[in-house]
Amino acid sequence: MVVMAVHQFAQCITCHAWSADQSMVALCPNSNEVHIYRLVEDKWEKVYVLQKHDQVISGIDWSARSNRIVTASHDRNSYVWNLEESEWVPTLVILRLNRAALCVQWSPKENKFAVGSGAKTICICYYEQENNWWVSKLIRKRHESSVTSVSWHPDNILLATTSTDGKCRVFSTLIKGVDAKDSKKGTSSDSKFGELIVQLDLSSSWTFGVKWSPSGNTLAYVGHNSMIYFVDDVGPSPLAQNVVFRDLPLRDVLFVSERKVIGVGFDCNPMVFAADERGIWSFVRYLGERKAVSSGSRYGSQFSEAFGKFYGQSKLGVNNDAVETSRTRGTVHENCINCIMPLGDHDTMIRRFSTSGLDGRIVVWDLENEQDLLE
Amino acid sequence: MTSTLRLYLTCIRNTLEAAMCLQNFPCQEVERHNKPEVELKTSPELLLNPVLICRNEAEKCLIETSINSLRISLKVKQADELENILTKKFLRFLSMRAEAFQVLRRKPVQGYDISFLITNYHCEDMQKHKLIDFIVQFMEDIDKEISELKMSVNTRGRLVATEFLKQFI
Repeated sequence: MVVMAVHQFAQCITCHAWSADQSMVALCPNSNEVHIYRLVEDKWEKVYVLQKHDQVISGIDWSARSNRIVTASHDRNSYVWNLEESEWVPTLVILRLNRAALCVQWSPKENKFAVGSGAKTICICYYEQENNWWVSKLIRKRHESSVTSVSWHPDNILLATTSTDGKCRVFSTLIKGVDAKDSKKGTSSDSKFGELIVQLDLSSSWTFGVKWSPSGNTLAYVGHNSMIYFVDDVGPSPLAQNVVFRDLPLRDVLFVSERKVIGVGFDCNPMVFAADERGIWSFVRYLGERKAVSSGSRYGSQFSEAFGKFYGQSKLGVNNDAVETSRTRGTVHENCINCIMPLGDHDTMIRRFSTSGLDGRIVVWDLENEQDLLE
Repeated sequence: MTSTLRLYLTCIRNTLEAAMCLQNFPCQEVERHNKPEVELKTSPELLLNPVLICRNEAEKCLIETSINSLRISLKVKQADELENILTKKFLRFLSMRAEAFQVLRRKPVQGYDISFLITNYHCEDMQKHKLIDFIVQFMEDIDKEISELKMSVNTRGRLVATEFLKQFI
């Protein structure tokens, strides 16, 4: 079985994040609250409700080592939540934004986080000890539209962004006093804060869901024109590949290994992309199997036929020669999937991951028994 | 149903299937607003190319898409003046009760008889295929409804005329 567990948490989930040991999940039920559930004897129990925002929350990230939650919301604010004696204490982050915050992610070292916004800027936030608050440095200009997604390079300096102007950009976010000077990579340390390393203009439509591969050598992002882009050698001369697929566009991607990517989106079914020995990326298959939809089945006894007819009437309308109704999706998710999160130890190959979508479900997937996907 | 109508509706269904990929997207221009971009049209990069599907000159369907909303405008067949007046009255009746339909727009787009506005919120509450089924079913029924209305007007006219002329016999 690929699907490990399905949980209906709410009517609609905008985003979710897991605690380091995966015993707790924080999710936003398409409102201004964050609900934290804990697994107690095989049942998910709501243990905390984080209330501080006053508009829908667009991004949650839970840092693994420091156990802090950062949230970003359409109300232009961001909060960092600290667990202090069984109570989550919020700290307001002065983002200095005048439009909605759209996405957020902790840096790998967890000393910074990045917030993408509808103000066509990104905020790089870090903690200032003397003032006891989180300050943000803005990267203005460059973006011509809202920043839809941000992703940190493993080196803690480079940040990739996607935007609705159809471009993917990589910035340097070196902040003096926060990032140690003696980074191993000489090239990235030389650049100043906010310097544009590379701008990729591959898509003709909006771009979403940028991610770095575990090593940071490959960058993947998706376009709204049903394409996924893979970029190697990010730098002065990047190598790009486009993969076109025939289904509805994707919203987010996840690298499960250096050469394997899971994409989720409007098709409600995760797609697997893989690179062969030569490094050529291609679509492999869908992860979830589609069940046959009963209304379309011709075989079976008279009873099932009558049943199908009876059932079909409410869906098809009265006349039988109507245009065939759109297929009901026999997939685990029934609406657009907009969030995919890795589970388990991040250093090795990711075997398990979770997806959440507009249908309010969180589905845990396991690649353990998928021999063809594990090589 | 004729095969041309079926093709027309299938085409609309497939286009809607592809176009209805909406997401929550706050306004870039106005602080703390979240409005259908297809109505505001403030940021051209957030709009997609509109699709016009025509069955013939009198019957067409315009599908405009943006990042968080989708607008479908229909022009219904009107062969003569009676059909014209019936369509106008009937669709006005529906438009005035737009709240009951949720996705119906109160005023049609210029040059069209009736418009629907589907936002990301509708996609969150309702299943996508049911929404598409509703639009297609509506288009299927509207022609039937108009011709039925026309028939009953004609029948009634004939009856009234017969009754009236009886007194002169």
